Amino acid sequence: MVSRAAAAIRTRPRREREAEVLVWPDLVFIEFISALIFSIALMVLSAMVNAPLLNRADPDTTPNPSKAPWYFLNLQELLLHMEPAWAGVIVPTIALVLLAAIPYWDRDQDGQGVWFGTKFAGRLTVFGFTAATMVTSLLIIWDGSLHVIWTENIIRGLGLNSDFSWPGGLDWFRNLRGFDTGIPWESLGFTIGGFTMFEDWRAIPLGIPGTTTDPWLLNLNFPSFLSQQLIPVATMVGLPIVFVLFCKALGWIHTRRDIALLIFSAFIGVYLTTTIVGTAFRGQGQDLKPPWDIVVLEE
Amino acid sequence: MSNLERAPRKSFNDLIYDLIFKNYVWQSIFRTGYPNTPRNQMLAVATNVFLHLHPTRIHRTHVKITHTYCLGGLSFFMFLGLTVTGVLLMFYYVPSVERAYQDIQALESNVRFGQLLRNMHRWMAHAMIILVLLHMMRVFYTGAYKPPREFNWVVGVVLFILTLLLSFTGYLLPWDQLAFWAITVGTTMVGSAPVLGDESKFLLLGGFSVGPNALIRFYTLHVIGLPLVISIFMAVHFWRVRRDGGLARPL
Repeated sequence: MVSRAAAAIRTRPRREREAEVLVWPDLVFIEFISALIFSIALMVLSAMVNAPLLNRADPDTTPNPSKAPWYFLNLQELLLHMEPAWAGVIVPTIALVLLAAIPYWDRDQDGQGVWFGTKFAGRLTVFGFTAATMVTSLLIIWDGSLHVIWTENIIRGLGLNSDFSWPGGLDWFRNLRGFDTGIPWESLGFTIGGFTMFEDWRAIPLGIPGTTTDPWLLNLNFPSFLSQQLIPVATMVGLPIVFVLFCKALGWIHTRRDIALLIFSAFIGVYLTTTIVGTAFRGQGQDLKPPWDIVVLEE
Repeated sequence: MSNLERAPRKSFNDLIYDLIFKNYVWQSIFRTGYPNTPRNQMLAVATNVFLHLHPTRIHRTHVKITHTYCLGGLSFFMFLGLTVTGVLLMFYYVPSVERAYQDIQALESNVRFGQLLRNMHRWMAHAMIILVLLHMMRVFYTGAYKPPREFNWVVGVVLFILTLLLSFTGYLLPWDQLAFWAITVGTTMVGSAPVLGDESKFLLLGGFSVGPNALIRFYTLHVIGLPLVISIFMAVHFWRVRRDGGLARPL
């Protein structure tokens, strides 16, 4: 029984000498030139732009906003929208494991070694990237309550109602936490049999009653669980599925490679959007701000 | 004694050529002649420890710039540049809370080309992250992770993580407000991990907050621990590129 990988090597066609070039000079030359260009470019950049150096580290003076290095700002951005354990650790871990697992799931040899090798690869890439970027931006705008501010400003600005404010009945739609604070959960409590499981939505005892000294059996704060875990995770799982079903309905998806293209492109879109928002659009208190309004205060 | 019986007189260029490439010392270093014939060109690659990462011949499509944009090679080149500038920076830097910030200030103002050296190291580090990401995208969009290259893609993902960790550990070293609070935010995220969060954070920082212990840990990881690990993974990565049949191309 020959493994798939070994078979793949064996089935390669015999080398055609005419189709080959010598590494020296053809490849070595290209490597040399690209290394040279990068050395010069970085030298020029370094001569023009200095690496930042702020005041000496002071544990008593916290800059506002405090930010991680730019390549972790996508995670710091996630941190604003969900439980820290999900944003900082579980989501990136799962993302990296899934990323590493792609070739074990998509084993089809078609489209190997060619840019955008399948028929609809271009469309899937553009759609995945664009749609993910837009959806992520909308979700960030919504969780930043910008739609509330914009609606209020527009209605006031048009003179329709000079002291209009977001209706209390729509408090649950202000942002993600609106699901927690904007809904009268307490009034929805009920009892199942003699087991008063849901007598208080904000402290549902998990596990067996009387054993809550174990940290694993602490009470579950349901509304907060909904807004900080259930909805974010359902969104992260659900949106890719919606994307795939949508493209399938359009007839763009025929192989696993197509699904991989779509999801990977969407991932790149989310990765870039969250990095850019976290880097350039988060001011004091991590509020959404245009880049030119961001000032770092030391407190 | 007739002049006609002598060998034809060498041109000046040939004399210089022989003087440089055919003397005893040169030939003790480079076993092959100057690579101006196909045979010597192949030998030049095959007998040189640095060049022999390459095969001697490759498929025509692999030297097309638009096939790879040299992204993997440039990521490696950034690593080399970072090693060189990093070693030079180590001459001037002591990883103690008392001296670290002072040393960076002194490097910028008192050391000739010190500021340039630090800038190079920083911008190369950023460039490496971007290049590694772009390289990953290139490999993905050309379908180059497909069998038989599955495992090398996994090694690539590990290299990406190690690149981020190298940059992250280096971020603390200047010991300024930017460094201190970025690492505080970053390690707080680690601390929020379920079950092992607090333990991981303590292990990383050598304490409950960013302090002298964290500085020496990050420094050690940055200058020796992670570079060693990433070198091993890079060796495997490059080796596997060769073993798995070079760059991916249509079957």
